[in-house]
Amino acid sequence: MMLPLYPNEVFGRATGMVVGTLTGIAFGFVLERSGFGRAPILAAQFYGTNMRVFKVMFSAIATAAAGMAVLAGLGLLDLGLLTFPETYWWPQLVGGLLLGVGFIGAGYCPGTACVAAASGDVGGMLTYLGVMLGSLVFGFTYPVFADLYVAGKAGVLRLDTLLGLPYGVVAAAVVAMAVGCFFGAEALERWFAKRAHQEAPDTLKRPRNRSFVALAALALAAVATLAIPQSVQSAVVRTPAPVKVVPLVDAALRLPESVWLVDVRDAKLCKEKTLPRAVCLADLPKGAAAAAPSHKRLVLIGTDTVKEVPAALADFPGEVASLQGGYPAFAAELLADLPAEVTQTMTPARLAEYRLRGALHARLTGAAAPVAAPAPVVVPVAPTGAPAKKGGGC
Amino acid sequence: MENKTSSEAPFWNPYLAGIVLGLVLLGSFVVMGNGLGGSGAANRVAIGAAHIVAPQAVENNAYMGPMVAPGQHILDDWLVWEVLGVFLGGALAAYSAGRMKLVLLRGPRATVASRLVMAILGGLVMGVAARLARGCTSGQALTGGAALAAGSWVFMFAVFGGGYMVAPLLRRYWK
Repeated sequence: MMLPLYPNEVFGRATGMVVGTLTGIAFGFVLERSGFGRAPILAAQFYGTNMRVFKVMFSAIATAAAGMAVLAGLGLLDLGLLTFPETYWWPQLVGGLLLGVGFIGAGYCPGTACVAAASGDVGGMLTYLGVMLGSLVFGFTYPVFADLYVAGKAGVLRLDTLLGLPYGVVAAAVVAMAVGCFFGAEALERWFAKRAHQEAPDTLKRPRNRSFVALAALALAAVATLAIPQSVQSAVVRTPAPVKVVPLVDAALRLPESVWLVDVRDAKLCKEKTLPRAVCLADLPKGAAAAAPSHKRLVLIGTDTVKEVPAALADFPGEVASLQGGYPAFAAELLADLPAEVTQTMTPARLAEYRLRGALHARLTGAAAPVAAPAPVVVPVAPTGAPAKKGGGC
Repeated sequence: MENKTSSEAPFWNPYLAGIVLGLVLLGSFVVMGNGLGGSGAANRVAIGAAHIVAPQAVENNAYMGPMVAPGQHILDDWLVWEVLGVFLGGALAAYSAGRMKLVLLRGPRATVASRLVMAILGGLVMGVAARLARGCTSGQALTGGAALAAGSWVFMFAVFGGGYMVAPLLRRYWK
C-alpha cells in the first residue's frame, strides 16, 4: 500500500511544504473559478436565489468521499494513515452555528475570504484579518471556552462506523444524497426566481448531466470494490507523530494536563528511570486508554521512536505521538551535561531553546544552577519568525 | 445578478467545479494524508504576531502556549504553506480570468462603511468559531465531510443552519 505518500515517508518535510503550497494553489484556483471570490454570489446561497455554494461543496464532498472509497477498496490507500478530523459534538455544533452567522455577515468563509483578498476585494482582506483577530480572541479567552471545547468528545468517529456499514456503501449513499439534493436545490432556485420574476441561474444542462453521470459512476465503483476480498483492504493502523524531547518535557512539567506520557519499554527499564510524569505501560489498569482524559495527547516513550501504537493503548481516543529517539534521546538531551554551546552566531530562537534546555536539565538533575546561559550578545538579527504578513498572510 | 463585463471569463459550471474541487481534495488526502484548510494559517500567523508583541502572555496561555514552545516554529506547519498557496492560486485564477481588481464587493444597498464593519466583524466571529470547532468550512465541512467524520457533518449542517437563521435579518444588506 503506497498511499498516502507523505505519511508513508515517500518524500520528506521540505518536499511536503512544496507539495502543500501546490495543493493550496490548486484549491485557491478552483475556488476562484467556482465564483467563491465574490461575496454577493456566496450570500445568495442564503436567500435561495443561487445555490452555487451548496452545489460545489456537495459535489466536491461526494467526489472525494467516493474516490477515497475506491482507492481504499482497491487496496491502494491506507485509510488508517489519513488524518481524520476528530468528533467533538458540542463545540462542532456551536462552532458551526457561529461560523454560519459570521459567514452571512462577512459574505465569505475563511478560505474564500483568502481567495477574495487575492483577487482584490477589500472585504475579503478585512474578513481574513477579522479571522486572525477572532483566533486571538479565542486564544486569550480560552478559559471561557475550555469546557465547551472538549465537550462531547467522540474521537475519530466516522459515519460508516457509526452506522455499521462498509465505507464504500456510505460514500455511495453520500453521492446519491447529494444528487438528490441537487434536484431539490434547482427546484428551489426556480421557485425563488419565479417569485422574483427573474431567470434561474445555471441553466446549462449538458455539463450538469455529465457531472451527474460521473458522480454516479464513482459511486458504483465504490460499491463494486466491496467485492474485493477484505485481506487487501487496510486495517486501521495509527502511526504516532514524532515529537522532540525538549518541548515535550517542557509541556509535561508546565502544562501536565496537556499530555499523557506512557513508557512502553520493558517494565524493568521503565521502573528504573523514565521521564518526569510518565507512567509505565505495565502499571496501567485495563481499559485505562479508553477512559483517558479526552483532551490529552498520548505520547509513547520507547527505546527509540515508536512506530506503532501498542494494542493495550489502541483504544485511546485522541491524538497519539511518539518521543523522537525514545528514552535515550531524553537521557542524552536533558540528563547528560550540557555542552557549552555558546557561540556568537546564535539566533534568538536557538538561544531560547538552549536556555530552556538548561533550565530543564537543572530541574531534572538537581544541578546547582542552569548551566551558564550565553550572554545575549546576539540579538541584532531579526527574530527568525516570519513577519506578520498583511493580506498575503492568509 | 452582478455586472459581468465581456472581458471576464465566466465561472465554471458548479457541479463540474465541485468535481474538480473534490479531485483536489482527494489528491491532498492521497499525497499528504491530510485534507484542506482555510483558518489554521490565520491562527498561526496571529499567534506568531502576538508572540512577538507579548511573548509572556502567549507562552503562559493554555491554548496558545504549546504552539510556541521552543524547538518548533509557529509558522512551520503545512497549513501555512497550503493557505499561502490558496492566496497564490486565487490570484492566478482571478488575474487570468480578468477579474483582478481592487474593489469593495457588497450588496446593492449596503454602504461602504457598513460593508467594512461587517467584513471585519463577520471575520472575527468566524475566527472564534473556527477555533472552537477545530476548523472552518474547508477543514471541517469540506475535508471532514469527505472523510465521513461524524462531527464534521454536524458542523456542516450547523453552518447552513446558522446562516439561514440570520440571513433574513441581513436581507436589506445583501439584496
